[in-house]
Amino acid sequence: MLTPHYFDLILYKAYADLRSEAEKTYIGFLWWILDPIIFMSIFYIVFGLLLKRGTEDFIPFLLIGLVVWRWFQNTVSHGANTILINRGLMRQVYLPKIIFPIVVILIDLTKFAFVFILLLIYLWIEGFPIGISYFALPILLTIQLILIIALTCFAAALVPFLPDLKILIDHALHILFFLSGIFFAGSSIPEQYQFYFYLNPMASIIEGYREILMYNQWPNGYALLVIGSLSLLGIVGSYRLLEHYDHVYPKIAI
Amino acid sequence: MNLQKERRNTLLSLRNVGAYYWRRKNYFRRERLWALKNISFDLHQGESLGIIGRNGAGKSTLLQLLAGIIKPDQGTLINHGAQAALLSLQIGFAPHLTGRENAILSGMMLGIQKAEIEAKIDNIIQFSGLGDFFDDPINFYSTGMKARLGFSVAFQLDPDILLIDEILGVGDAEFREKSSTQMREKIRSNKTIILVSHSARTVEQLCDRAVWIENGTTMEEGDTATVLQSYEKFLKKHG
Repeated sequence: MLTPHYFDLILYKAYADLRSEAEKTYIGFLWWILDPIIFMSIFYIVFGLLLKRGTEDFIPFLLIGLVVWRWFQNTVSHGANTILINRGLMRQVYLPKIIFPIVVILIDLTKFAFVFILLLIYLWIEGFPIGISYFALPILLTIQLILIIALTCFAAALVPFLPDLKILIDHALHILFFLSGIFFAGSSIPEQYQFYFYLNPMASIIEGYREILMYNQWPNGYALLVIGSLSLLGIVGSYRLLEHYDHVYPKIAI
Repeated sequence: MNLQKERRNTLLSLRNVGAYYWRRKNYFRRERLWALKNISFDLHQGESLGIIGRNGAGKSTLLQLLAGIIKPDQGTLINHGAQAALLSLQIGFAPHLTGRENAILSGMMLGIQKAEIEAKIDNIIQFSGLGDFFDDPINFYSTGMKARLGFSVAFQLDPDILLIDEILGVGDAEFREKSSTQMREKIRSNKTIILVSHSARTVEQLCDRAVWIENGTTMEEGDTATVLQSYEKFLKKHG
């Protein structure tokens, strides 16, 4: 389904969309950095200063959670709509529909890269050194990426049939935002709920980043293996779904 | 002459093809809307085939089918290995990008390889007559300038079967003349072309053979003069 030409198109379209977005404002791509900084400042003011959640190192703890969570939430939320909003385009020219979510994933990955590097610099300045566990960082990033690909493609495949799903997805993401351990550690919740807490893959992933970046510990390999394997299955399933309905999406009139 | 035509390769064969759209009826039900019901014809290599019919006859759906955008829901469409593409103007244009970037993006969406479109970029600049504006964002362009760019890019498309929907010339008077002339030349050349139109005159001028469709059904297929005669007779009767 995806010939080399379509890979070129994906890359160029992602580049074009990023440039297009930067051109729309005066300071352009600086917003990719400024926007998350403002977002995180709000949480810093509320939780770090006003509510004084005085655990040690709460700010780096919070920032790690927020940065990697935002990557997840933005991609899934943007991607869910992408086949639906490109209906006009796909009625004029044949394009494999998987192109659309992949472009969104690339765009949000690029923006995340900037913010993640800033986060690392901040942590180094704050005195969290690079340890041996950094070797696990690329693996963890890859596992989060494939989780994102799986969920984004799955959502993108379903939303054209049921546009209302997009609203439910955004609410689900909002709930998960509070349940992924961004503001608290998994170990701090009552024992009997921990099993359910860790059913959410983002809980283990966020914890993994903290292990590596703050405590120089290896992340939970077993959990990551399960998440990675299930996500790979999810990618295969979503790809099949998109392929199966490839010629049906242009026919749906809402 | 006739014998020669018989020996030509058949590129596409449609037999009793039908296709439907989904239309939402209420909260829980969708209904099928058969835009095409029973379409049959052949397309041979090197010919210009005109498809004629009134508004709502199913011409646009037929083009989507031929371009591989949708698939038939009944009947058979046999493609003997030819690549067909719809000539779409200004496809994927983004207002904040330059003429050059839009030309590359649009060309790639139409199916032209990136290297090929980059090699043709000088042709596009020249044909569009945009000059220095080519490297400006297209939201500074007038409607006419955008039309020039859109046509110049789409005109580079060179598939085995070129599908053309109505439009021959676009833009301001001068460019309309130029683009229309180029397009007519291309249709009359040895290329295989399907031209869709509701205008009998256009089809008469440009096509070797014609197919008349009405209400999603093939009414007649044959040489242009004969088919058009029936079509016009039908128009007189049904307005």
